[in-house]
Amino acid sequence: MFNFDSMITRQRKWMLYWLAILVLCAGFLPYTRIFLGLILGSSISLYNLWLLQYKSDKFGKTVAAGQKPRTGLGTFTRMAAAVLAVLIAMRFDEYFHLYAVIIGIVSSYVIMMIDYILYQIIIIIRNSKED
Amino acid sequence: MGALAAGIAIGLAALGAGVGNGLIVGRTVEGIARQPELRGTLTGTMFIGVALVEAVPIIAAVIAFMVM
Repeated sequence: MFNFDSMITRQRKWMLYWLAILVLCAGFLPYTRIFLGLILGSSISLYNLWLLQYKSDKFGKTVAAGQKPRTGLGTFTRMAAAVLAVLIAMRFDEYFHLYAVIIGIVSSYVIMMIDYILYQIIIIIRNSKED
Repeated sequence: MGALAAGIAIGLAALGAGVGNGLIVGRTVEGIARQPELRGTLTGTMFIGVALVEAVPIIAAVIAFMVM
């Protein structure tokens, strides 16, 4: 069964693992500027992911309760957060690599897709074993 | 010219995302209103759809900001 709560927990977990790997890489590998850019972008990406999960959950609960949803899904906030990350990267160019920041911003979407595909494969394998 | 390019980029991306998000959220609301017990499944599908649709205007906003 497709469980929304377990899916969002899993996605947040993968995102935190990804951030932990990036912090280790920034600490021990020579390409500090690139990894700092990735950390900045991925942090904003984690915020975007959390916001979308929170707003989607709230939206679903409100509609299921038969009420009219008063807030949107936070699209403008997420766009502003992404622009803020790029602004920081452009202002502090000596510390953050701009293209790494952009790749970091997109990382949550990549993680989301990988998680969805993996979970679908796991479900197919589980169903074939039960048959 | 840079400001014009930025405006066109963000405007078209926002237009496409607005239509796409509207379709996704509208159908989800319809589905949840009909069958509230399927809220988890429908919200999950909506979540993934909205995330994929929104990736494009977010990147467009970033590119527009860089072009300016």
